[in-house]
Amino acid sequence: MGYIAIKGGREAIEGAAGALEYLRTQEGDNGSPLTVASIENQLRLLTSRIVSEGGLYHPRLAALAIKQMQGDTLEAAFALRAYRSTKPRIMETPVQNSEGMRIIRRISSAFKDIPGGQMLGPTGDYALRLIRFELADESPEIFREIARKFLSVIPDSELPDTFPKVLAALRKEGLLPPAANAPDCAFDITREPLVFPVPRPAALATMSRAETGSLLALAYSNMRGYGDVHPTIAELRVGYLPIFLPHPVTGEAAEAGEVLMTECEIIAAYEGDNTSGTPTFTLGYGACFGHNEVKAISMAILDRSLQKGAKDGPQNPSEDQEFVLLSIDGVDSMGFASHYKMPHYVTFMSDMDRLRTTQGKKK
Amino acid sequence: MNKVQCQLPRAAWQRMLSALPAQEIRQLAKTFEDACKVEDLSLPQSGLALLKLRDTALNETFYLGEIPLAKAHVSVRAADGRIAEGGGQILDDRASMARDIAILDAVLSGKLIGWENVEALLLRGAAVRQEEVMERKRLLDATRVDFSLLGKVEGEEGND
Repeated sequence: MGYIAIKGGREAIEGAAGALEYLRTQEGDNGSPLTVASIENQLRLLTSRIVSEGGLYHPRLAALAIKQMQGDTLEAAFALRAYRSTKPRIMETPVQNSEGMRIIRRISSAFKDIPGGQMLGPTGDYALRLIRFELADESPEIFREIARKFLSVIPDSELPDTFPKVLAALRKEGLLPPAANAPDCAFDITREPLVFPVPRPAALATMSRAETGSLLALAYSNMRGYGDVHPTIAELRVGYLPIFLPHPVTGEAAEAGEVLMTECEIIAAYEGDNTSGTPTFTLGYGACFGHNEVKAISMAILDRSLQKGAKDGPQNPSEDQEFVLLSIDGVDSMGFASHYKMPHYVTFMSDMDRLRTTQGKKK
Repeated sequence: MNKVQCQLPRAAWQRMLSALPAQEIRQLAKTFEDACKVEDLSLPQSGLALLKLRDTALNETFYLGEIPLAKAHVSVRAADGRIAEGGGQILDDRASMARDIAILDAVLSGKLIGWENVEALLLRGAAVRQEEVMERKRLLDATRVDFSLLGKVEGEEGND
């Protein structure tokens, strides 16, 4: 592959950047700049997507990246990853446990009654997908009134701080494989290359920061028939995960902050255990930064399909580790697609030369 | 475990203090910097931490991603000669804020002169966190659902 040098490129590139900024600001006197806080709060699901696809839980910077990239999610995630590559890594946290998550939403499609109860939380799942035209003319006064009014009519709550896992009850009944004391084999995909077959922790880490649409497409292929996971959601939870780190003086686990995350466990078809032969349900797991339910569900389905592929050999694309894990990264795939925009004059000239030569031989 | 009069364990202090505006933390920490000798036992740092999580399906550990982290570890010698160590670790980019929290942590844990001011600030932070917790619980409770009722409403059919 060859490239060709560009002359006069600097002025053109500066002009292109200026044109891009012009379009962002072209409302002129009628416009006002988007604040980062507005993006972070009012476009919270978009921000969630960027923190997870960028692989860095930094909602404020994710919102800034969205603003800078004018809403391009792939480029915003790229910018966040570029930022993270400039920062030193100063710690690897001890293993965190999502059972301590401070829930804002929790549902199960496996059971009507789950310990602690089901709570819809903030969701549009049950709303009509009709455009709310009144939002087009929302005044600042009405906007500010909504949250205040909503809270003022809700009574105090006696809910517990945390909720038990639905899977724990099934495990207690012997319907799931026992929770093995798996060794700590976390795999750092930012520093180690994926050499196939990779261990499951590498697959989980890769899917956690994968592009939502890519994960969904591959999981959907499984749902549509190119696979047989047939999931039931044991539990889908969204909430704030407290991060406990050893206190610099006492060494005691001390909370350093919290991250919003989404987590999903799916139950799939049962199969016999290799050792005891007792059949149990199989499981899939999905988790990502931010509030992104489609991503967590898709990841859980793919986790299960990849387990099946690893065990029996891949029979469908979504069961093939290499196919899945090398196709789902947004920054990788966007970069490859975008690179075709770069000048390929030399390689294409070579193609043309070969074609002309071949045509000449035919005459 | 260190506890102050408000009975908040030391492990919760940095979380409570970080609920308050950085300026307030700075202001109080500065009074101790002026009155005491503060020594950095390790250089205050900001960067990233790799977040390790246990998957709740098969119990394996994996990396969910990275988080911003600022940390500091200081020693504070009060005017009366007493010394206490303090630490601060927060999910934040500001090493200076982690250091300010470490100073307050040292003063409060060692009950150095002026610790009551730190306790007062800590209680304010705890109140902010409590309010946050209560708000989340209220929002959650308002959306509690009993799916078994859906099929019993006239004209509606339950789903599978």
